[in-house]
Amino acid sequence: MTKLLNKTVKPFAVFSLLILAISVPVYFFIVNNIWQEELDEHHRISADKIERELNLLSDTTAIAETVRQYNYLSAGGYITPLKTKQAKTDSVYSHYRFDKYHNEEERFRGLTYTLYIHGQPYLFTVETNIEESDETVMAIALVTLTFFLLLLVGIFYLNRRLSRTIWEPFYQTPESLKSFNLSDGTEMHLSKTGILEFEELNAAINKLTTRSIAVYKLQKEFTENASHELQTPLAILKSKIDVLLQDETLSQEQVERIAGLNASLSRAIRLNKNLLLLSKIENQPLEDIRETILLSDLVDESLEFLYDQIKAKGITVTKQYSGEVLISASTNLTEMVVLNLLLNAIKHNIEGGKLHVSLSASTLTISNSGADSLKVDALFKRFSSASRTTTGGGSGLGLAIVKEISQRYAWRVDYEFREGLHFFSIRF
Amino acid sequence: MKLLIIEDETDLAEDIVEYLSKEKYVCEIAASFEQALNKITSYKYDCILLDLMLPGGSGIALLEELKRQNNQDGVIIISAKNSVEDKVKGLQIGADDYLAKPFHLSELAARVYSVIRRKQFDSQNVLHANELQIDLLAKTVTVNGKPVTLTRKELELLLFFIGNKNRVISKSALAEHLSGDIADMLENHDFVYAHIKNLKKKLQESGCDRYLKTVYGMGYKWEMP
Repeated sequence: MTKLLNKTVKPFAVFSLLILAISVPVYFFIVNNIWQEELDEHHRISADKIERELNLLSDTTAIAETVRQYNYLSAGGYITPLKTKQAKTDSVYSHYRFDKYHNEEERFRGLTYTLYIHGQPYLFTVETNIEESDETVMAIALVTLTFFLLLLVGIFYLNRRLSRTIWEPFYQTPESLKSFNLSDGTEMHLSKTGILEFEELNAAINKLTTRSIAVYKLQKEFTENASHELQTPLAILKSKIDVLLQDETLSQEQVERIAGLNASLSRAIRLNKNLLLLSKIENQPLEDIRETILLSDLVDESLEFLYDQIKAKGITVTKQYSGEVLISASTNLTEMVVLNLLLNAIKHNIEGGKLHVSLSASTLTISNSGADSLKVDALFKRFSSASRTTTGGGSGLGLAIVKEISQRYAWRVDYEFREGLHFFSIRF
Repeated sequence: MKLLIIEDETDLAEDIVEYLSKEKYVCEIAASFEQALNKITSYKYDCILLDLMLPGGSGIALLEELKRQNNQDGVIIISAKNSVEDKVKGLQIGADDYLAKPFHLSELAARVYSVIRRKQFDSQNVLHANELQIDLLAKTVTVNGKPVTLTRKELELLLFFIGNKNRVISKSALAEHLSGDIADMLENHDFVYAHIKNLKKKLQESGCDRYLKTVYGMGYKWEMP
């Protein structure tokens, strides 16, 4: 990826080169023309002067003598008498010929002019050496190239300066966007740039993020409110079933149907409570209660809680604690994490399987027997398929709750499967 | 025994009344803050079930009013909010218990029973039920004067049954009662069966009548006249 500034520099440079290249023949044409005009004018002035001066001489021998002297001394001029009939029209010309003074082929600009001295025609020819066209072109091209290089250096230098001054505030915008986190709920603060386009961009971004935050908040609140609203009808259903159960005229079939109702209702209630819990964790302000928790105690208590579940499945529990691990977090939430992980380790265990809890300086690892590895990428997502195993009944939210709480405290949750064991670890 | 149910969901209030009336409780319903305030200032109740979100005012304000009147009625908060703050606040002001909706009616009955028992027999902590005697402080049980050793969970179950005499209690209600706050995470309630079996066996061995009946497909029932 090239930077925006470099993108503009390249066409600028190409365009300048093109224009300057066109300028070379144009310059040559203009310089050459001016030069020739000047020479022609100069030649005419010389011819006029010679004609006037020679006409002032009355003596023919004096005239002849002056002409001879002129022809002898002049570098390019030459006067020859003409017969009257031979009088030619004036003409200017350019040509190349060998020059004995330079000892090489040179370009000359010339004028032939018919002078009249006391009515007698003379042919005046004058030639002046002018620079060869190729040399002129070369010189112009060289100068142009020099300026082009100067221009390039200038553009690069200016560009670098501009990118540091003008573009600096712009570069801050993508930086702020990168660090922007929707779930934080904190709005972006883009500094004033003093440049209209950037201000417009920042204003648009601010509007977008503010709106996103508002929508996100609304969404979160919606989940919490919806779960709240559901609690009452669920409570009524639950009490209705409890009352219905007391009816002694119920047939066995009816009782079984009610049991089915009860199971589904329990599941709905569990799901709703977990959703409510999740949105509560999400919506809770960050500065919540922090207590010092001795993790080994918490794990032991949780295992005690789950004693019945462990026993029912015939699971062997082993523990390995090295040292005291103290963490600072909410006891409720930490307990939720540990319980959820332990419950999963029991629920997704095999009959008579193993459960091992190891606690070291900063990591809690819970491992349990299992058949196959779980799909890692979907594992911590809400209602992910990974949590809907054949055992059924799972809310699909347990690991999502673990993840949400861990994120809150910046704990790292990992999963791996090796040697027939599922490993869930939390680094505090 | 007089009970006041302060609850704006009439469906729920009526179910509570129906369930609790079977146990010699006389129940009254107040569906709004206004009604509730009238009733608590005019009458005396053994136990008040208090919903926190009421039309016309908050349950917390009612609770404060009760304490201001130095009312000794037992209060159980029943709330759909289930927030720790509400719970702590309610208990600090003077509520006796806090039960989050949705709850099993058997759980509510057990809590009502326990609150009333505490209020009535302030000095003595021994509960009598036919040949059964339960010392709530020492956590000991005797049958016809002979001690029976029960685990903590078996004792909890026994008390739960006595608080729900002659009513069918679903297995899930028992599981939730035993596992408390984590009940919502549990999906398998089979563990209840083991505790029930042990409790039954221990009571029978000590010569207690067979009060505990299994209601096939549904749960259990403590039949005691």
